[in-house]
Amino acid sequence: MGAGFLVGVIGVLILSHAAYSTVQYRALLKITEEEFSGPPINVVMELIVSLVLCLWAALAAPGKFKSIHPQSEENRVVALPANLDFMIFNHRGKIFPLEADLKLK
Amino acid sequence: MVTRTEEEEVNRLENQVENGGGGAWEYLCLVHKLKLRRSDLVLKHGLSILNDSKKRSALGPEEWTLYEQVAVAAMDCQSLDVAKDCIKVLQKKFPGSKRVGRLEAMLLEARGLWSEAENAYSSLLEENPFDQVVHKRRAAMAKAQGNTSAAIDWLNKYLDLFMADHEAWRELAEIYVSLQMYKQAAFCYEELILSQPTVPLYHLAYADVLYTLGGLENLQMAKKYYASTIDLTGGKSTRALFGICLCTSAIAQLSKGRSKEDKESSELQSLSAMALEKDYKQRAPSNLSVLSSTLRSLKI
Repeated sequence: MGAGFLVGVIGVLILSHAAYSTVQYRALLKITEEEFSGPPINVVMELIVSLVLCLWAALAAPGKFKSIHPQSEENRVVALPANLDFMIFNHRGKIFPLEADLKLK
Repeated sequence: MVTRTEEEEVNRLENQVENGGGGAWEYLCLVHKLKLRRSDLVLKHGLSILNDSKKRSALGPEEWTLYEQVAVAAMDCQSLDVAKDCIKVLQKKFPGSKRVGRLEAMLLEARGLWSEAENAYSSLLEENPFDQVVHKRRAAMAKAQGNTSAAIDWLNKYLDLFMADHEAWRELAEIYVSLQMYKQAAFCYEELILSQPTVPLYHLAYADVLYTLGGLENLQMAKKYYASTIDLTGGKSTRALFGICLCTSAIAQLSKGRSKEDKESSELQSLSAMALEKDYKQRAPSNLSVLSSTLRSLKI
């Protein structure tokens, strides 16, 4: 959790820095009266790096993945449900009465 | 299907509830969801919720499903008065409901009034001929009276109509196995594997049936299905591991002299024997000597 979260924070910081540089670059263009053709190369690099870092953080920080394999330890089927639609009532449990005080009030 | 995690959760909650740690409602929900048959506990804890008007009203509309659940559990425990009271409450709330009518017919069944129950079910079916549960109850009733051949007839008729109902196929398979009609049981298990191919327990049951039928071809098939069980359980199925050993030695006995594909099969057998030994060492070291003598008698 700790390391992944830190990576995410760094990623977001780089992303906001990229946004800030773009705003500044456009302000500069306005002063020099040039056309905006695309962001400068250092902004593009920052965007790519922050994308990778944020992606990493999103996969690592929230928690562990659960297995989808049917044969994995937690997904392994160990029992079938009791076939309740075919439940019958005259079984040997009939002979053992439960506590007598059970009553719906 | 009850998976490993769900089973642990149920056992944990059951312990907690039994020792008075609360969580009764969660336990009842889980039992309902996983379709487990813990009638005595459901009756005890369900009633304690139902008798407490504060807890009961906190459930909202779930209250009525709890009444139904407790009614069925009470019938299973032969506490017929409780079941009757629950059904009365439900009847008052939902007059003329078919679901409640079904419960009433089940109560007749629990009392052993077979012909009355039969009449109740047929009148329910007249109103709605496609009520699957009522059809199934009829088969179950025949079984409860010890009339297995009638139960088989009902189930076959039912399965002609509702072929996708795997619970009915499973019931039919189990009845056939209990009557030692293994060929028919094998057919039912094939249907089950087709409808739910990832459930290892059906593969295991099918392999068991094939092994019981015997014959070289069936044994080879059985071995394949034991192998697929091992595949689907991640090697945790002791029964399937033993099945492989038994199948291989039975095949070796049958095909003495004309030996082909011998090498591959002996490799599979020694692998499963090794897995068994490892498992026994870990979980039951005191029985290890019994295991090795058994394996030796199978000539592994």
